[in-house]
Amino acid sequence: MEQNNQYWKGIEEAEKQPEFLQTKGNEFHEALPLEEVLNATDLDLSSNRRDFLKFFGFSVSAVALAACQKTPVKYAIPYVVKPENITPGNANYYASTCGGCNSGCGILVKTREGRPIKLDGNELSPLSQGATCATGQASILSLYDINRLANPLKDGKEEKEWSKLDSEITSKLANIASSNGGIRIVIKTSNSPSFDKALVAFKTKYPTTEVVVYDPISYSGILLANEKSFGKRVIPSYNFDKAEVIVSFGADFLGTWISPVEFTKQWVTNRNPKGGKLSKHFQFESTLSLTGTNADVRVPMRESKEGIYLISLYNEIAKLAGNAQLAVTQNAELAGNAIKNSAKELFAAKGKSLVISKSNNINNQTIVNGINIMLGNYGTTIDLDNYSNQSKFVEADFEKFINDLSSGSIKGVIFINSNPVYSYHNSTKLVEGLKKATLVVSTSDQNDETSDLAGYVCPDNHFLESWGDAEPKAGVYSFTQPTIAPVFNSRQAIESLLLWSGTPANEANAYNYIKTNWAADATIWNNAIHDGIYLKPASIASVPSFAANLTEVAFAVVADAPKSDTPELIIYQKVGVRDGSQANNPWLHEVPDPVSKVCYDNYVSVSKTEAQSKGIKQDDLINISAGGYTLKNIPVLIQPGQASGTYAIALGYGRTQSGKVGKDLGKNAYPFLKLANGTTSYSNAGVSIETTGDTYKLAQTQTHHTIEGRDYIREASLDEYNKNPFVRNENKTDLVSLWEEYDYSTGHKWGMAIDLNACTGCGACVVSCHIENNVPVVGRDEIRLRREMHWIRIDRYYSFYSPEAYLTKEDDIEKEKADIYDNIRVVHAPVMCQHCAHAPCETVCPVLATTHSAEGLNQMTYNRCIGTKYCGNNCPYKVRRFNWFRYNDNDAFDNHFNNDLGKMVINPDVTVRTRGVMEKCSFCVQRIQAGKLSAKRDGRKMKDGDVKTACAAACPSNAIVFGDMNDPNSEISKLYKNERSYHMLEEVGIKPSVVYMTKIRNVEPLKLTEKHS
Amino acid sequence: MSVIDAAIRPPLIQGGKTYTDVTTDICRPLENKPTRMWWIGFTLSFLCLLILFATLFWTVWTGIGVWNINKSVMWGWDITNFVFWIGIGHAGTLISAILLLFRQKWRMSINRSAEAMTIFAVMCAAVFPFFHMGRIWVGIYWVFPLPNAFGSLWVNFNSPLLWDVFAISTYFSVSLVFWYLGLIPDIATIRDRSTTKARKYWYNFFAMGWTGSVRTWARYEVVSLILAGISTPLVLSVHTIVSMDFATSIVPGWHTTIFPPYFVAGAIFSGFGMVLTLLLVARKVLNYENYITIGHLEAMAKVVMLTGTMVGLAYITEFFIAWYSGFEYEQYAFMNRAFGPYWWAYWTMMSCNLIAPQVFWFKWARTTPWFLFMMSIIVNVGMWFERFVIIVTSLHRDYLTSSWVMYSASWVEVGIFVGTFGLFFTLFFVFCRFLPVINMAEVKGILKNKE
Repeated sequence: MEQNNQYWKGIEEAEKQPEFLQTKGNEFHEALPLEEVLNATDLDLSSNRRDFLKFFGFSVSAVALAACQKTPVKYAIPYVVKPENITPGNANYYASTCGGCNSGCGILVKTREGRPIKLDGNELSPLSQGATCATGQASILSLYDINRLANPLKDGKEEKEWSKLDSEITSKLANIASSNGGIRIVIKTSNSPSFDKALVAFKTKYPTTEVVVYDPISYSGILLANEKSFGKRVIPSYNFDKAEVIVSFGADFLGTWISPVEFTKQWVTNRNPKGGKLSKHFQFESTLSLTGTNADVRVPMRESKEGIYLISLYNEIAKLAGNAQLAVTQNAELAGNAIKNSAKELFAAKGKSLVISKSNNINNQTIVNGINIMLGNYGTTIDLDNYSNQSKFVEADFEKFINDLSSGSIKGVIFINSNPVYSYHNSTKLVEGLKKATLVVSTSDQNDETSDLAGYVCPDNHFLESWGDAEPKAGVYSFTQPTIAPVFNSRQAIESLLLWSGTPANEANAYNYIKTNWAADATIWNNAIHDGIYLKPASIASVPSFAANLTEVAFAVVADAPKSDTPELIIYQKVGVRDGSQANNPWLHEVPDPVSKVCYDNYVSVSKTEAQSKGIKQDDLINISAGGYTLKNIPVLIQPGQASGTYAIALGYGRTQSGKVGKDLGKNAYPFLKLANGTTSYSNAGVSIETTGDTYKLAQTQTHHTIEGRDYIREASLDEYNKNPFVRNENKTDLVSLWEEYDYSTGHKWGMAIDLNACTGCGACVVSCHIENNVPVVGRDEIRLRREMHWIRIDRYYSFYSPEAYLTKEDDIEKEKADIYDNIRVVHAPVMCQHCAHAPCETVCPVLATTHSAEGLNQMTYNRCIGTKYCGNNCPYKVRRFNWFRYNDNDAFDNHFNNDLGKMVINPDVTVRTRGVMEKCSFCVQRIQAGKLSAKRDGRKMKDGDVKTACAAACPSNAIVFGDMNDPNSEISKLYKNERSYHMLEEVGIKPSVVYMTKIRNVEPLKLTEKHS
Repeated sequence: MSVIDAAIRPPLIQGGKTYTDVTTDICRPLENKPTRMWWIGFTLSFLCLLILFATLFWTVWTGIGVWNINKSVMWGWDITNFVFWIGIGHAGTLISAILLLFRQKWRMSINRSAEAMTIFAVMCAAVFPFFHMGRIWVGIYWVFPLPNAFGSLWVNFNSPLLWDVFAISTYFSVSLVFWYLGLIPDIATIRDRSTTKARKYWYNFFAMGWTGSVRTWARYEVVSLILAGISTPLVLSVHTIVSMDFATSIVPGWHTTIFPPYFVAGAIFSGFGMVLTLLLVARKVLNYENYITIGHLEAMAKVVMLTGTMVGLAYITEFFIAWYSGFEYEQYAFMNRAFGPYWWAYWTMMSCNLIAPQVFWFKWARTTPWFLFMMSIIVNVGMWFERFVIIVTSLHRDYLTSSWVMYSASWVEVGIFVGTFGLFFTLFFVFCRFLPVINMAEVKGILKNKE
């Protein structure tokens, strides 16, 4: 190609200087001083052998040194054959039934790559209605409990071969049966049709067999009273949703009584003041229960006198109804004419009211039945036709078993997941009796107190490894399906029973066996396994005829009533730990008791007056005796609301045979139980205590119990609310902002609403968050140092009744007499990161480790955090948690994070934090992302309810609502505009994303202590 | 430098010292064998320094959890000690910079040791912000705005902690340069008097070729003035910025606009307390009574009284403003300080810082060394408690009563604090051994006796 334009590089070229032209062809215009360089004496480019060896040596040793660090080999093995339905990274959900207690709540099990990592409620289940409780949530960790038995045991030694055990056990059973020796199968209340059938098969094979039901917690008072009153030995279904007036004598139906999740779901339906109405809830009890903290009127009552109060209530209602009163001389009234007032309210709400009692005394429960009959509550709030199967334990059968055992007539005992050696009040007699048996088998999956005495331990599967069916309520079938292959060499108890009764292995397989039982209709089975639930049409609730002679009962009650006011001891269940069967579950100990906020121990609850008169203080160690049993060195807790003259100790502690967490934790209160009139009595008159002079610091997550007249918790009475829905909420104080507002107009803006009126404080959200977000368990000592790691906590505040007002300032309270501690009101307020728009934590971080997202989230970048802790100081809600130590792989924190099995519960979507970084609630950002992704995948917009935080998902009282505030139709958007909604500490101007909703009590308006303007 | 002979004012240096006397007196401790007292003091300090190493090692090895700070009180003794030490440093800068600019000649006997104190105190202070970090291994450089390969990742210029990083590193470097500059003529003097080879070599090295010519002196004076000018705002800025760690937060009891002046006054107060402590010992042990005279002590006592009263005024103003603000959380924070569970700390602070210095209205109190020594200790105790009160009592009970906690230090925290005293005094003893405690060159300028 010809070039027309001539460009020249410089004047030299333009002028065509000869020097230039001469060198034009060279690559470098100037001559390179190559010779000079190569010949320079001081620059020896050639290396000799010695240098080579030097460099070689250095390189080799450097590489060798670098390779000296032992890098742990980690296996991440892909699926060679990918299982159908499993996509790595995607969660699968299976419907199942919770085995945390006997309520039989339907659950959804979240699994990731074949391991269950989270339980949530199954919305199809009429029991759980999509919610769970703390105990249920935590039960997943029992699956990954390193202290589970890895193999069956024979005489305490591992025996890996099931067939060997089976042949030994069957031959022994055959010997016993042939020699006419008794065989007993001790089970927990069973409501599984298949299991019952397996028991029948066993009985057929070994005719001397009898099945004994044993539950650690007895509801036989109700069972037998219903038998006496109506000829039906059942626990009725209670419909708290239909009850406008509820009177509960000590029954902790929101926390521990029969079926707490179901009851909470029902109860809360009448606790929204929107329509101007609330149910009225009276609670009369000795020790402050979770339910008591949520009652509108809560009056301390001595449990031993409950029968008298019930008679009084009966008579008061009879008076109103014009019925005959019970002709007893003794009538009693509680403080503030509570009996009379409640009678009035109950009568006014005839047919829509409910009286229940915790009492396990048949007479008391018969009077309760009489009251409910008189109020016409049967058929509406109480349903005997769609009864509950959640407890069938009656003491008489078990007592007979113990006596037979002692007499030596029983030769073989099989304990199916039952641990009476721990929980039976007279366990020495049981232990002695067991020595006379030739065959003792336990199916416990841990070496617990009972299996420790068993010759054969045939560990059962965890419920997440099992097949099963259950009928917790008449007509309600709930199914269990395995979500993981058995972790250990365990076998389902039903399979063991079937094999021992000679069923062929193929039939005895739990899956085959249960499926065959449902074979009548294949569609039932498939749908039931998919849904987890199969419902038969409910029977029509009828009004039963009442057959008991109440006058007789009343006289018996009066005769049994204590003649003098001796101190009494109440034995109760704690929320979470419950009966102690999951004592080795660290989550249940780490979650504070909803009332006392104590973790890891049980204690004696004492009223302030009693403590003062006995000269004991909080954290004193005392010895307490009642009914011939003494518990030594148990710490004292001053419990506001405790009826004076009563003491209370929780069950479920003091396990002598459990895993590393549960062993020797707390004190065992079961021996305080005793039989009275054939049923277990949970109160014990005639308590004596002695001080030891020692102290023991209880690990409490909250040590200041009042709000000091501050405004961040708001409450009002229903009347006030009806007059002005904005009551206590009239003044908005966040008027001026120094900061520029974020622009959230596009995309999402996440928000949360917490209804203080609905929250019962049960702690399900705390455990749920624990699991979802891999929150470490830190243990008792760290909690004593006030270093619990919970991302969500439930603040519990008392206010104390004085004639003028409910006091919330400690100074005022201290001026009053000690009996001010008796009458209290309680608020529960869940607090987590409030995701402030103008977050004080964000500005102070020197390295921008905590920042604001476009969706209004306050984000924590663990990788960037250097741990100055300034953000934690500057957080007015004190929700930031610091990793003081490395909590994983650290044997100083010997829970589940330091072993491979326990770590299987870790949620792979959430980082496990290292030490030295701050952490806090993320609004479950991983769930938000998952929700966004699935909406995107489906090519649709996100809809309300696509994302539920772990706390909101678990909540049985619907107190927590999460959603997108940019969606005008979302529930959260509506709640934000609710009259009751306010921001906690809005005057600080940090614009939190969480609203709280004023608590409305159905009480007479009472002046609150001075509110600041 | 000219000295005006005032008939009514006693000379600043007493005992009829001559130039030679000054040189021999001040060089004596450096040239003689260390005394028994020095060995005892040094050993004790060094043992404490070992405690510092041990406790810091334990903290980093195990985790900050070995301290007792908790979910609500996330700063405890660590930041208390940090502010305490930083505050102490301020007297040195004030003496060397502001008093230089004000031509206060009396400062010449004490500025060297005061500046050394500043540097050592800042080193002690720096221990805490570094080691209070959960992840010191990354925090130690992530707090600096270094270019990095993480894209737009940068430090947060809104954070007072970042301002601290700048304030303190500037403070330390300027103080060090200023101190070293003042040392050069004296190091040259020692170099000239050295007899051993090693001594000569090292002092020669650090004297940087000082000849003592008129021209070097002229340069020296100019650079001194410039550095004094740079240092002067630092006296105010450093503690102002430290106070902003608290003042810009929203913690009731921290969120206070009075903090900057109040902290500066407090810093000078505590700094003079510490200078008094050190000099009262030094003048006795090193026989410098003629150089650090009662007049010096009295002047410092006056500063202590003035700043103590300023601090006290701030305490009372704070209390008043808390009430006047009408903000209940603020009001509670202050009532809680005075009458809550940490009342003893508050009243220790009040009595040490506001009440005790009032004795300096009496001349006897200002001029009696043993009494001054006692007072200087009281001042330092009081100022430590001031920081403790501000930090701990504000955090332990803030907005939500559910998170109210109590806090008391663990043995590790106490160990680190004791250890920083070890560091401080070890450095100070080494300083006394190798460098002149009094600025010979300057002191010679104010001698009355001219040979």
